[in-house]
Amino acid sequence: MMSEQNNGISRRSVLKGAAVGGLGLAAGGSLLAGCGSKDVGPMKWGGRGLEESSVQWHEAVKAAYETATGNTVTLNMNDSNAFQDSLSQYLQGTPDDGFDWMAGYRMQFYADQGLLEDVSSVWDSIGDQFAESYKIASTGSDGKQYFLPTSWYPWGLHYRKSTMTELGLDPENIANWDDFMKMLEATKKKGLIGYALGDKGGWEAMGTFDILNARINGYQFHVDLLAGKEKWTDAKVAEVFKYFEMMIPYMNKNVLDISWEGMRDLLLQKKCGAMMMGSWFSGDFKTLSQADYDDLWIVPFPEINPEFGRDTIDAPIDGLCVAANGENPEGGKALVEWLASKEGMQARLDSGNTFTSANNGQDTSSYDPFQNQQLAVMNEAKYITQFLDRDTRQDFANPVVAPAIQNFLRAPKDITKILEGVQAQWDALPAL
Amino acid sequence: MTSTATDSTVRRRRAFSPKDRLTLTAFVGIPTAFHILLVWVPAIGTIGLSFTFWSGIHISDIKWAGLQNYNNILTGTPVFWDAIWHNVIWLLWFGLIATPLGILLAYQIDRQIRGHRFYESAFFVPVVLSLAVTGIIWNFMLQPGGFVQGILGRDIGNPISIYGNYDINTYVILGIASWRHIGYIMLLYLSGLKSVDASLKEASAIDGATEWQTFRKVILPTMKPVNIIIIVITVIDSLRAFDIVYMIYGSSTGWPILGILVFQNISGGGMSMKGAAYAVILFALCIGPMISYLKQSFAEDVK
Repeated sequence: MMSEQNNGISRRSVLKGAAVGGLGLAAGGSLLAGCGSKDVGPMKWGGRGLEESSVQWHEAVKAAYETATGNTVTLNMNDSNAFQDSLSQYLQGTPDDGFDWMAGYRMQFYADQGLLEDVSSVWDSIGDQFAESYKIASTGSDGKQYFLPTSWYPWGLHYRKSTMTELGLDPENIANWDDFMKMLEATKKKGLIGYALGDKGGWEAMGTFDILNARINGYQFHVDLLAGKEKWTDAKVAEVFKYFEMMIPYMNKNVLDISWEGMRDLLLQKKCGAMMMGSWFSGDFKTLSQADYDDLWIVPFPEINPEFGRDTIDAPIDGLCVAANGENPEGGKALVEWLASKEGMQARLDSGNTFTSANNGQDTSSYDPFQNQQLAVMNEAKYITQFLDRDTRQDFANPVVAPAIQNFLRAPKDITKILEGVQAQWDALPAL
Repeated sequence: MTSTATDSTVRRRRAFSPKDRLTLTAFVGIPTAFHILLVWVPAIGTIGLSFTFWSGIHISDIKWAGLQNYNNILTGTPVFWDAIWHNVIWLLWFGLIATPLGILLAYQIDRQIRGHRFYESAFFVPVVLSLAVTGIIWNFMLQPGGFVQGILGRDIGNPISIYGNYDINTYVILGIASWRHIGYIMLLYLSGLKSVDASLKEASAIDGATEWQTFRKVILPTMKPVNIIIIVITVIDSLRAFDIVYMIYGSSTGWPILGILVFQNISGGGMSMKGAAYAVILFALCIGPMISYLKQSFAEDVK
């Protein structure tokens, strides 16, 4: 994924990257002095997610870190979307030292701007605990690492085992699109929503677009499209929306009224059959009750084009960055090193967190069946993509693609015009 | 009017003592300095930024872009025209429906119709709430699983689409905004009406004027300063609308409006110059009608 993107970077961004690299070197020199001592002073951690499940594991891990090292951590939890929207201002102001963030473009942009601390030294120390592909996803355009992976999760079809049993359906055995449509039809006949979707936030439906594009046109086309090497006006993209449109009759009638929380609630309250979503929401099921959590399952989106099978999956990597403007960058590095390490991830898993660890040395014996299934779904795929809004330019994903998909859901017959608009807006973007 | 003019000429001729001068300088100079620093400098900076390409982080990365951002917005961003359309509808709705309703309400309450105290406080309550809170309240009322859906007998698996339905969400949002705006206008107008000399009304009643004639020919002209304020507030509130929509839809594009586009571009990654260009367009839309209207009304005053 990342190497594909790197092919497309312009000379300007390479030069800019070199300049940032120079700064990083200069800063690195002065920071070496601090490396000897273990005492890194009090530090701050900016966490994302105000859901009970998220706050709970953050607090548990913070306590574990304080016990293990004797350092003091101030934990500041933030609303996930609001944090995302204001990250630029956050990083230029007085950010927390370490903060929860995402790999890929979303990290690279801020790294290019010099707002993230180079964490190559942390990679030198615990880098062997991660797969090479994770290192690539953590690397900025200047070749240095700015990100530490902690967890990853699959985007797949989530459903309740009990609902499907009642319906007499077995999503694990959907071989192809026809089977999938039959499943949606059968769910609808029983008065349930076949395919729950919310797109109020503008990004939720990108998950469905990603997987349809990967299934129909393959990984390479998807990646090239998002990198601007293929055109949105290509008949292949129109084909994706043709499949998307076939699913609309089986969706809830208020797709644009609800966000991902609304989708989660539809599944929680057994109002729908299946939905395409990232497994991160499973923590909310567990918070509600262990029985609800045990009932939750995930399978990969079915094959459409036999040429590509089920070879691709959106499996975004979450993790941590260190803010360059934080009060205590050394403390931030020490914090993220511990949090991303096997030990830190074990503390997180022990707190009952339902994510799967990105650490390849993690002891998975404590995983519950749902966590093991997440891993199986991700490991089945040959190609891993991050997610549309992490795999393409930030000034394109949310401002352009999000309203385009919303407009499509509102008026599917306008798709040709909508896609022409998307391409025109891509063409009008300033060079990076 | 003429007397005021002579007054000021006389005042200007008066010699100021050094202490007076110092006080005047301090009273005028300090606020002016702050105003220039906090309003004009950022405003001009924003206008300048709208002609550049800039990620919003390092000054050294600024590149001249000429009119490209505006060109991009006007020709390459369909969502801009949706936003303009929504702002125009908002303005028309406020100007033609909500504001007149507020005035009517104020007039009726001022006449002390039965239960006027109840109406006054009922319409006043939403004014106390900030627009953001208003948005949150109505979000709870209308969302799937919320109060209104419950009354309609819809659970979350079988809801009616309100915010996502383009046929009705505009009216729902304008209704929510009016909920507060009507009370606000009522309050402003009521305070104006209280200061209208009751003998004016009596005189026109004696002359045999109807209720409507009294309102149009006597009350409305007497209320001119308040009218100007209300028109200015209506126009500005309609164009800068943001809070309610943001609270209902989040930062995204569920119901685009200029204020949201400014925010979305500046807050997201790397598009602050486009956000600045939206802000300049918004500013131009606000300032144009405002200046022309104020000019006109001052000109009439001088006559």
